[in-house]
Amino acid sequence: MKALTVIESILRNRYQHFVAIRDGEDVPAKLRAMLLSSIVLAVIYGAVLGSSHSVLQALSSAVKLPILFLATLAICSPTLYFFQILFGSRQTIGQSFALMLTAVTVTAVLLVAFAPVVLFFLLTTADYQLFKLLNVAVFAIAGFRGVAFLSEGIKIVAANEQGAKARRTVVRAWVLLYGLVGSQMAWALRPFVGAPSLPFELFRNLGGSFYANVFASLGEILGFWTVH
Amino acid sequence: MSDQPTPRNSRNVDEVLDLLLDALLERNAQRRRQAAAAKKPAPAPEPKTETAPEPESEPEPAAAREPQPGDNNWTPPPPVPSMGLHRLIWRMLLAVALVTIVINIPVTRYGVSLARILPDKQQLVVRDGLLLKGSGPEVYRLEENKLRWVSSLDAFYHLGLQWDDVHQVDDAYIDTFERGEPIHVLLKCRTSPHIYRLEGDQKRWIKDIATFRVEGHQWDEVRFVECGYLDSIPLGTPIPADAGLPPNSN
Repeated sequence: MKALTVIESILRNRYQHFVAIRDGEDVPAKLRAMLLSSIVLAVIYGAVLGSSHSVLQALSSAVKLPILFLATLAICSPTLYFFQILFGSRQTIGQSFALMLTAVTVTAVLLVAFAPVVLFFLLTTADYQLFKLLNVAVFAIAGFRGVAFLSEGIKIVAANEQGAKARRTVVRAWVLLYGLVGSQMAWALRPFVGAPSLPFELFRNLGGSFYANVFASLGEILGFWTVH
Repeated sequence: MSDQPTPRNSRNVDEVLDLLLDALLERNAQRRRQAAAAKKPAPAPEPKTETAPEPESEPEPAAAREPQPGDNNWTPPPPVPSMGLHRLIWRMLLAVALVTIVINIPVTRYGVSLARILPDKQQLVVRDGLLLKGSGPEVYRLEENKLRWVSSLDAFYHLGLQWDDVHQVDDAYIDTFERGEPIHVLLKCRTSPHIYRLEGDQKRWIKDIATFRVEGHQWDEVRFVECGYLDSIPLGTPIPADAGLPPNSN
C-alpha cells in the first residue's frame, strides 16, 4: 500500500513530483513505487476486462495488460530518451524513464477509476461490440490524460535547458508513436475481452488490425453491418 | 490707502484666472490627443507647479504575466497536504478485485457466473469451421468462405462436431455464402466390396472406382462399419443415377 502514495503525489502534487525528478531526488524509489503501482492497477483492470468471457480470460488479461503497458514503454522509451538528448536534455535515463512511467501510472489509475463503470456495463449488457468499444474509449481517455502528464513533466524538467521548445515538439511526435505502438501491441496480445462465440485462447492469430477492428465494431453498433 | 480691492482690481484677477484655466484645458486636451492618436510614450512628467490631473486615457502599464510551468522564473506552488488518497485507492482496488472475483463464481448448476449470465448475443465470428443451420435440417460448415453441406449425421460425428457449436441463422444469411463441395462420409463393410455414400438418412451406391474418382472422393474418407448397420440404412439413388441396383444387394 505504501507504493500507492506515489499516486497521490503525482495527482495532487504533480509539480513537486516533476521538480523532484528534474532535481534527481529519490528517483529510484519513485521508479519502484510507480512500477509496482501501475502493475497492480493494470492487473485489476485486466481481470475486469476478461471477466466478460471466462475465468481463464480474466486471468490471462490480468497478466497481459501490465505486459502491454510495460512492453510498449520499453519499446518507445529509447526513442524519446535519445531524441531528448539530441535536443539538449541533461536527464539521466532513470529520470527520463520516471517521467514516462508517470504517464503509465496516471493511465493505469484512471483505468481503475473507470472500472466500476465497466463492471456495470459488463453486468447489464451482453453486447460484446459495445463492451469492446466502451473499453477502447476508456483506454483512449486514460491514455490521453497519461501522456498529457508526460508532456507537462517534460515542460517542467526541460525548463532552463537549451532546446526546450524543440523537445516539447519531440514529445508531441513521440506521443503519436506511443499510441501507434500501443495499439499494435494490444492487437498482438489480444484477446483482452474475448469474443463470446470463440473459445478461450491465450493469443489469437495475427491478421487484420486494431483500427480495422474498431471500425468494424463501430459499424455494427450503428447498424451498418454485422461483424463477421 | 485702503486694503479693500477695488472693482477694477477684482476684474483683473478674474481675467487672469480665466486665462490660466483656458491654458490648462488646452494643455489637457493636447495631451489626450497625443496619447490616443500617436500612441507615443507618455510625456515626461511636468514640474509640480504646472501639474494637471492625469488624463484617464493614459495607457496603463501591462499587468505582469504569471510565470507558467516551464518558464525560467517559475516556482512550483507549495505542496498540498496529504488526504490519504492512497488508502482510498487501496480500498477501491480491493473492492474492484472482490467484485471481479464474485462475478466470476458460478451461480447456476450449469456453471454460469454473474458476468456471463445475461443471454449472450453470440456474435458470429465468421471463420473456418463455423457451423450454420437454417430453417431446414441441413447443417453447413464454413471452409475458405464457402459453405459445405455436412451430408449426414455420420459425417457430422465423424468430423468430431458438436451440436452446441451449430448456430441457427436466417436462410437469407446462409444464401449470402457461396456453396462448396458437400462433406460426405463413405461407408463400407468388410464382407462387401461396395462403397456407399451417406446423404441424409440414405446410402447411395457408388458404381465403380472411376465414378468414385470423378466425384472427387479420397480413399481416406471411407469408414468401415458393421455390415448390419450398413444394411439397415435405406438405399437411395445410386451414383450415377442410371447405375441400377448394386450386385448382390439385399
